[in-house]
Amino acid sequence: MKAFLHTIVARLLGFLRPKDFDPDFDRELEAHLAVAAEDKIQRSMSPEQARRMARMELGGLAQLREAARAARGLPWLGGFWLDVKLGLRMLRKSWGLTLVGGLAMAVAIGLGTSVFAIWNALVGTTLPLADGDRVVAIQPWDAATQTAHRDTPLADFRRWRDVLRSVTDIGATRRTERNLITPDGPAGRVSVAEMSASGFQLARVQPLLGRPLIQDDERSGAEPVVVIGHDLWQSGFSADAAVLGRRLQLDGTFHAVVGVMPQDFAFPVNQRIWTTLRSNPLDYAQDQEPEVFVFARLAPGVTLDGAQAEVTTIGMLPPDAVAEANEHLQPRVVPYAAGVFTDVPSNRWIGGLIFFLVALLLVPPCANIAILVYARTVTRAEEFAARYALGASRGRIVLQIFVEVLVLAAAAGIAGFLFARQFAGQLSRIVLPGSGPQNAPFWMDFSPSFKTVLWAAGLVVLAAAIAGGVPALQATGRRRQAGLQSLRTRGTGMRLGKTWTALLALQVALSLAVLPSALEMTWGIFRPSILGPEFAIEEFLTGWLMMEGSDTSRFGNLQAEVVGQLETQPGLSGMTVSAAAVMEEPQADIEVEGSEAAASQAAINHVDDVFFDLFDARFLAGRGFDAGDFEPGRTTVIVNRSFVEEVVSDGNPLGRRVRYGPRGDGGPVSEARVWYEIVGVVDDFPSNNDRPMMYHPMAPGTMHPVSLALRVGSAAGPVARRLQQIARALDPALRVGRLRSLGEIYWQRKSVDNMVGLVLAAVMLIVLLFSMAGMYALMAFTVAQRWREIGLRSALGAPPRRLVAGIFGRALVPLAAGAVSGGLMALLIESNVQITRAGGRNIPGVLPASAALMIVVGLFALIGPARRALRVDPAEALRDG
Amino acid sequence: MPDGQSPILQGTLDLMVLKTLEQLGPLHGYGIARRIEQVGERALIVNQGTVYLCLVRLVQKKWITAQWGASENNRKAKFYSITRAGRAQLKAETENWARISGVIGRVLQLAGPRSA
Repeated sequence: MKAFLHTIVARLLGFLRPKDFDPDFDRELEAHLAVAAEDKIQRSMSPEQARRMARMELGGLAQLREAARAARGLPWLGGFWLDVKLGLRMLRKSWGLTLVGGLAMAVAIGLGTSVFAIWNALVGTTLPLADGDRVVAIQPWDAATQTAHRDTPLADFRRWRDVLRSVTDIGATRRTERNLITPDGPAGRVSVAEMSASGFQLARVQPLLGRPLIQDDERSGAEPVVVIGHDLWQSGFSADAAVLGRRLQLDGTFHAVVGVMPQDFAFPVNQRIWTTLRSNPLDYAQDQEPEVFVFARLAPGVTLDGAQAEVTTIGMLPPDAVAEANEHLQPRVVPYAAGVFTDVPSNRWIGGLIFFLVALLLVPPCANIAILVYARTVTRAEEFAARYALGASRGRIVLQIFVEVLVLAAAAGIAGFLFARQFAGQLSRIVLPGSGPQNAPFWMDFSPSFKTVLWAAGLVVLAAAIAGGVPALQATGRRRQAGLQSLRTRGTGMRLGKTWTALLALQVALSLAVLPSALEMTWGIFRPSILGPEFAIEEFLTGWLMMEGSDTSRFGNLQAEVVGQLETQPGLSGMTVSAAAVMEEPQADIEVEGSEAAASQAAINHVDDVFFDLFDARFLAGRGFDAGDFEPGRTTVIVNRSFVEEVVSDGNPLGRRVRYGPRGDGGPVSEARVWYEIVGVVDDFPSNNDRPMMYHPMAPGTMHPVSLALRVGSAAGPVARRLQQIARALDPALRVGRLRSLGEIYWQRKSVDNMVGLVLAAVMLIVLLFSMAGMYALMAFTVAQRWREIGLRSALGAPPRRLVAGIFGRALVPLAAGAVSGGLMALLIESNVQITRAGGRNIPGVLPASAALMIVVGLFALIGPARRALRVDPAEALRDG
Repeated sequence: MPDGQSPILQGTLDLMVLKTLEQLGPLHGYGIARRIEQVGERALIVNQGTVYLCLVRLVQKKWITAQWGASENNRKAKFYSITRAGRAQLKAETENWARISGVIGRVLQLAGPRSA
């Protein structure tokens, strides 16, 4: 082992300072020859003969020097470095391939790495807590549907807590949304963790001030207490050192602050406010017990399998003991992060399968690059033939081509990796709503991990193997070798081959097939940003109005008072009240009476009588809400244009009836399954938003809290201050929260969409560039192949136009076949796929436009080879032959 | 290849060089090559060039060291000496060689044609 290490060090030194050893070795060889010759002279040889003999016995000096150099350094690394340099030179020379191939590989590697980074950040990681790898979740597993349920009935949690011995600190939590009001700071909807006291024991994090929740707080009748995070302590209590004992309100209930947690603490997922979880059955009405997320720490010495064995034995309560329990449910123990994100496959095999599929993303771009590399390799026949003649093996040449592409893939890999680092957070927000940077789980970390770097490096090597290795093996195959070795002249022995030509034709077909849909999708995504909201969105200010305390009976009057007093404020040209802020409306499942379509989704809002006027919404059909619609018990609704297009779609929307889906998501529970009649259709606003909306009438004072929208023009600051003043003066319990510009909400939403659009546009551009590069390769080949013929025809006086038509006519046949079949496929896709459902937008005449675009792309690909064909010098071409 | 001559078995040149240096003390490359040829009584073909490659390897492993000095004819030459690690290695290799060659010898004796 020691000798091995010595060798490594010596070879590294030799590699880094190759020149240091050569003079010494040369002197040694000279000394050898001199000593050997003297020895032979002493044995009565003539000096001449002795010197010759000494040389012969030693062998070739140059080879010996080379061999010694190889023995002293790292010869394979030296060769590799040479290939890298060659690769860099080729990248500069074939800049088209570099640009197209590099971009395509960067996108594929970037996406592949992002998926890995997201997975790794969500479930492939351990919690940043003491012994975080031993923290687990216990949750029901439905054997029938093979799905995990995140939450467990409270009754099961109580039983597990009492009997399980393989885990400690077993606790439960549930996330609730509450209206928060603090003495000094923001009021609004916040996410609150109702958590058993054992959660703090498990996390083993000391509070900054005060104490964590304790078991006594869970007792029925105990005073409501709350532990708050560092940020809320700063903003809501002005970092008051005597905060302990002060109170805040959650949904009108006062809670005494008993502790402040450090800034980074966000257990169980991303919460910064903790209240006690009541687990006593007496605290809940019958059948009203909530479901909870159960967590625990593995007891010392117990493995995950050990805990699973005990949990399986204990099982879950029989169905009759727990409402809606299921006989297929079996509890299972999983790593904590995997338990939170049940939708993300944490199983190693499934994870592996996903990564395999992600790696497959590399195949289309790499196959395209392979075509181009193959074409380039064949055109470099002379270079490789020369290398064969100088003794290079086929393996050496394949390695050279592989390394050339590896250089490209590595550059693309670095770009892809940086992309993943930058955008994995945003991508995760798209893939898994609720896991983005703003509300990311506390263990989620997108900083580049060793595993992610390794994964990206693996993708780079795979990309180089597909794009460089495969064509290199093909182009230097046995049949080719003969051609290469014989150093034939230009134009003969070169064939692109049927497979590669067919692939090129297929490429053109697929590009044309997806181009119209891709254009419509991209347009659908970018349209709202390009055309804008089409109303002065920046002129609007939005915020919440709500009451402290559980008594909200005065809210209606106060709300009317606020509206009345604010109307005279200079700069304010109007205001409206709704249940949800514009563009932040909750989604709900919707069914349309008599419609065969399955339940669709729509966003829901409850609005006052001036709502549509204030936003200058245009009525397309029917009417707005009249005074009668605001009477209690009336069931009229107004929908928007997108609702009609996507949800009603068939027939006249006016008079049609709609209701919430069985789950009633988003809709108030009491309204579930009531039929509502559509009385008006309003144009989308913000325009180009393409989001189905349904509006209910809302009489003043019937809902609490409410969202205010104020048309303030450029007077946002003064109006906001005035609003706060009025609210404070009217009633100390009246609060205004989260005042923001509507533009801020709008552009925040659009930024995510735009990123998806950018990726899509990049992919589309790459597909087109590949088509162009493929066509170019085919045409360039044709010119090289028919070099002599072109020269001959040119010498015989063929006019340029006929010359070009004659040369490219035959080569264009497969491409034309590809284009025609691609066009047919596009037609089929256009007529069968409703692009608007996927977020796209129909573009009139998209098919002919796509065809025209492909023709332009094809012509661009043709220009270079055509010019080269016309410049063929007949004399030179005939001499070459 | 002349009759009666064999190439050196792969991996055995290191052993022979170490043994030569242990027996004769510091020697230059030519001296080592000559010594092996003499001991081999012309039954072994030693490519003198490969002796130098072998010396490079042994120096890298720190089993031998090299130093410039003067030859018997007062010519400058590089002299190699065996190190302590080299002696230990030689001992281990010698024992290994004896064991393996013994086993091979016995196998070859046993594996003669079966008598009818």
